Amino acid sequence: MNRQALRGAAVSVLAVVLALAASLLVIALTGAPIGKAAAAMWDGVFGSPAQFGATLTKFVPLVLAAIGWVVASRAGRLNVGLEGQILAGGTTAAVVGLYLTGLPTVLHLTIAVLAGAVGGALLGGVAAWLWARRGVNDFIATLLLTLIMTQVVSWLANGPMEEPTGTLGQSSPVADTARWPVLLPRTTLRTDIILVIILVLLAAYVLRRTVVGYRLRLTGANVDAARATGTRTTLVGVGALCASAAIAGIAGSSLVLAAPAANLAPGFSAGYGFDGIVVALLARNSPLACIPAALLLAALRQGGGLLEARVGISSGLVTATQAVVILLVTGTAWYAERRRSRPRPPGASDVPAPVAEGVRS
Amino acid sequence: MNPFDIALFAAAIRLSVPLLLAALGELISERGGVINIGLEGMMLFGAYGAFIAAWATGSVSLGLAAGITLGLLTASIMAFVSVTLRGDQIVVGVALNLLAAGVTMFLYRLQFQGTQPTTVRMEPYAVPLLSDIPGIGPVLFDQLPLVYVAYVLGPLVAWMLFRTRGGLRVRSAGEKPEVLDSTGVNVVRVQWSGVLAAGGLAGLAGAFLSVGQVGLFAENMTAGRGFLALAAVVFGQWRPYGVVAACLVFGFTDALQLRLQSMGEVPREVWIALVVIGVAVAAAGVWRARRSGSSLRWVLLGAVLCVVAGGLGTALLPSFVLPSQFWLSLPYVLSLIALATSARGVRAPAMVGRPLPSRG
Repeated sequence: MNRQALRGAAVSVLAVVLALAASLLVIALTGAPIGKAAAAMWDGVFGSPAQFGATLTKFVPLVLAAIGWVVASRAGRLNVGLEGQILAGGTTAAVVGLYLTGLPTVLHLTIAVLAGAVGGALLGGVAAWLWARRGVNDFIATLLLTLIMTQVVSWLANGPMEEPTGTLGQSSPVADTARWPVLLPRTTLRTDIILVIILVLLAAYVLRRTVVGYRLRLTGANVDAARATGTRTTLVGVGALCASAAIAGIAGSSLVLAAPAANLAPGFSAGYGFDGIVVALLARNSPLACIPAALLLAALRQGGGLLEARVGISSGLVTATQAVVILLVTGTAWYAERRRSRPRPPGASDVPAPVAEGVRS
Repeated sequence: MNPFDIALFAAAIRLSVPLLLAALGELISERGGVINIGLEGMMLFGAYGAFIAAWATGSVSLGLAAGITLGLLTASIMAFVSVTLRGDQIVVGVALNLLAAGVTMFLYRLQFQGTQPTTVRMEPYAVPLLSDIPGIGPVLFDQLPLVYVAYVLGPLVAWMLFRTRGGLRVRSAGEKPEVLDSTGVNVVRVQWSGVLAAGGLAGLAGAFLSVGQVGLFAENMTAGRGFLALAAVVFGQWRPYGVVAACLVFGFTDALQLRLQSMGEVPREVWIALVVIGVAVAAAGVWRARRSGSSLRWVLLGAVLCVVAGGLGTALLPSFVLPSQFWLSLPYVLSLIALATSARGVRAPAMVGRPLPSRG
């Protein structure tokens, strides 16, 4: 690890510690017993196999969304619409799971997960097309598409895909053959977590060790340099957005195919797309570091629930804590990303001196 | 039954006002090069602050002031992290939305323990004489006082952005900050003021929702209006009067949607109106294309679609129900279409989403 990465990690850890300390302080100010609150948090995460399983269940979509953000932002694209792509992927996965029946388990599940990836990628593809061809900002396009997708899912769950009685505002559960098998009995944890780990490793490998990953990072770091070395930067941007969206789509498929209810309900994305951005930020856009960061946020989400039930501290505090972490990490990015550079001689300008013809090596 | 009555238009105005306040602030901020995804959070903070202050003091005006103050405070976080410290604007905005949702929920539950108290609310004020004009009067001049503020805000922002030195500086900060910097102006300060304007107005918009309209606060009561205001800036193509028009369109579709939900099926008048709109859009498109030479085909396509949909609806009228989600997503669809089809010249200010270059 080089000095810069170390500094980044230190900043992330410090931000989390500070934010947690601040929220403990807030809890203390409300007069609630701190010991009891901390115990509730701890029990919420590690208290029983069921609780820990639930934490890991929340870890799955978080880490996937984070990887989605990393892939796009390494290429210099801002995919704020992960939330919408999760919804899109979950929807297509639910469609396959509900209506394409009579297949053996492995095949059905595989198709459903792939459908999720395709669904996410399609929505991301629309944004990518708007960005590449029509010059629309990637973050505006993905954000607007998310807002549209929210309504689409709400409509599907209350309309065409609603369960037969037509009263619950959600679809029937998908066929058993399309559901992830349970990994730990009597918990909500399912085998999709294995796929997730593989995907994270794959993303890390592709970004770091392959030509595609190199071109992607080069495009994100310096578009002009990338173009000059023959990279088709628009294509890279489109590819990165689509890949990022496909990963978010897989997260969406997990939220349907590995959930206890296993159906399509409005708002099933539950903010995972936005929380994924927090994770990626904490991990400083490193795929591997997304794992501990996502575990942390999953624990916060899970523990926050019990905090509310036991001590009466609203889970809003957990949301606010996350926000403080983001603010601290973004606010100190200049420090963590600072490179050691020689002090500039006075009067030097940003513009490089013109290179005389023939001198260029 | 004709849904297009005075109550509908009055509701349309009322629903567009919070959008208008927030969107015009956001316009200033984006023209200055800072996109503020946290608009939703600023509105929520404004709504909460206004409610608490009004609840504690029993005064509407103190509530409004508190709403603005909280909006400004939130905006100063935004400005400090994204402008002064050069943090990523998008990410900071996402954080502010989380912060507002979390903090308001936390404090509200802590204080009221699951109850939902009401407090004072703003009373409508009928402008003498003007409100007696048949048709227009009840729609435009029998509204909450804040609505009248919103009327003058559009022209005011337009004048400020395009006719004053400050406005020129804001726009240069959004396009070429290095040029502005070279003239000796403090770009950071210019962007700060843009973000603060957005925060104050968003806070006021939030206050309009809580203290202005209903006199109570509910968790997540902004319900996506901040994003709608963001979309209005996009749909209005970063021009003050465009933004005003966008807010009116969005407010109108919202009012119509609420009305149609209570009516069941879509009445014939709506379809006829769609045909009329299609024709109007086509006419306006032709006129603008003559003037600026921009491409016509997208505008015509939209107009033809409107006419066809309207015609089909008129023909197949009964038992056809448009889901409410269609209307709720319409503003975003319109914004995307507007962005995708607009001429190359129309785009976000160059610096939107990008941090200022750091000083060497």
